[in-house]
Amino acid sequence: MQIEEKEPILSIHNLSVWYGDDQILNSLSFEVQPKQVTALIGPANCGKSTLVRCFNRLNDFTPNFKFSGEILFKGSDMYAEKTDVTAIRKKIGMVFRKPELFRYSIYENVAYGARISGINQSSQLDTIVERTLQRSGLWNEIESILHGNPEQLSIGQRQRLCIARALAVEPEILIFDEPCGELDPIETVKIENLVRDLRKDCTLIFVTNKRRQAARVSDVAGFLYCGGLIEFGTTEKIFTNPQDTRTEHYVTGRLG
Amino acid sequence: MNALMTRPESRKKIALQGIAFIMVGAAFIFLWNDLKKTATAHIQTSSVSRISGTLPSLLSDLNLILPISLMAVLFGVACAFYLEEWLPATSWVRRFIESPVDFLIEIPSLLYGLLAITIFFNYAGIFKEIGTPPLQNVNESGLDVIPFQRNTTIFYAEALIFILMVTPVALKTTQEALRSVATPIRESAYVLGANQWQVLAKQVVPLAFPRILSGACRAMSRAFAAAALLIGIHISDHTTGPRGIPDRFMLFLGGALLLSTISSFLKESRLETSPTVTARHDSL
Repeated sequence: MQIEEKEPILSIHNLSVWYGDDQILNSLSFEVQPKQVTALIGPANCGKSTLVRCFNRLNDFTPNFKFSGEILFKGSDMYAEKTDVTAIRKKIGMVFRKPELFRYSIYENVAYGARISGINQSSQLDTIVERTLQRSGLWNEIESILHGNPEQLSIGQRQRLCIARALAVEPEILIFDEPCGELDPIETVKIENLVRDLRKDCTLIFVTNKRRQAARVSDVAGFLYCGGLIEFGTTEKIFTNPQDTRTEHYVTGRLG
Repeated sequence: MNALMTRPESRKKIALQGIAFIMVGAAFIFLWNDLKKTATAHIQTSSVSRISGTLPSLLSDLNLILPISLMAVLFGVACAFYLEEWLPATSWVRRFIESPVDFLIEIPSLLYGLLAITIFFNYAGIFKEIGTPPLQNVNESGLDVIPFQRNTTIFYAEALIFILMVTPVALKTTQEALRSVATPIRESAYVLGANQWQVLAKQVVPLAFPRILSGACRAMSRAFAAAALLIGIHISDHTTGPRGIPDRFMLFLGGALLLSTISSFLKESRLETSPTVTARHDSL
């Protein structure tokens, strides 16, 4: 598959990140194209999560976080002083490795994002909840227990509920930070199918340390190793014809 | 996930404690005026041996402790919220406050009592009158004690000492309660576009509330148990009271003992919460 050269939705220029004195990322530069799945692969502790946490400024809460470089979201600097951080986070959603649900009912979990954006009419909320749950393929499974405790759901269902919760805010970019890290193969397949469906109207960034999974879901892939971006290109190229020996070693399983 | 939701036992405990507090409070409000009159009359008309009953001394003690320690607890909780939620984690203020707070928590209340006595002896000069009560104020019953009327200087001084004693406990426990709310819960709210207030009101406070409440109970129990401090303050407060130090001592001892009992009840019945408030998938 070819990369279509469109206006990039997210462009990263010379991004370096430090936690205290430890340098985590070392001058990365790449661009994320809209309506595509961009996979970031690499062994553990190579800075994948740190990188995606820069995209919605979640690193702001980390003590001793320092960075240099530039991240442009639709052409405007995300770390400029006047940036409204909550507005950015509404446009760039995130799903974590562990499905962390709020202590409300299933319905309220999905409606939370809409509620904090100021939507309070129950008819509107009902529509949003139903639409997003259908989009995440959860509606048929949990329609009858919509107002029940989310504790009764399986962990895979919870993860999809987290995705629905993130979709309810209607983000332009959705970041998946190892969403299948805790799931069994069957649930993993469901999430992967969901990711492929979502590509139609949302830009997706998919962080994973499973090579085959990245090969299955993504259009574009980047290989991170020890804080540096070793290679970035179409998934096909990365997995069949890698330019760098380290990438080759990683995708063939000799490294990491 | 949440202690309030998943643990029926602690829920029951909270309910019981709440009911107990409401009952005591209601009884207190209903009986306040009656008790006040009775106590005043009791003290004013009785001989020295009858002064040292429990009721008047209890009322005197509560009259002193309740408003100040409530204020101190609220102050401590507010301080903890500021330190934990608004100050950046690397701020020097946090590190600066940490060790004095730990130090103040460990000091036994007896030492605070001594501090109170020292302050009043040396700086307020109140103890000069001890042993020589002014005779011109003696009424026909031979005694002139007005336990509910306070000297304002003393009020500020005792407020200071109580705040010094109660605030650190409330501060420390609230800080720990806020820290116990796991970061992923906050982050999952932040990534949906919630601002700090929304995360605090909808996620952090509901999860930390049982622990904050039990911290407040502990702080209050510390105030109630401060028998030594009470005696220290009250001896000086009632310079026109029953003559001689032993009588003044007895006047407040009964109440102090009763409050200490209440305090131990508060300590025993403090809410049991899980070590850390984490998400429910951890139990899988």
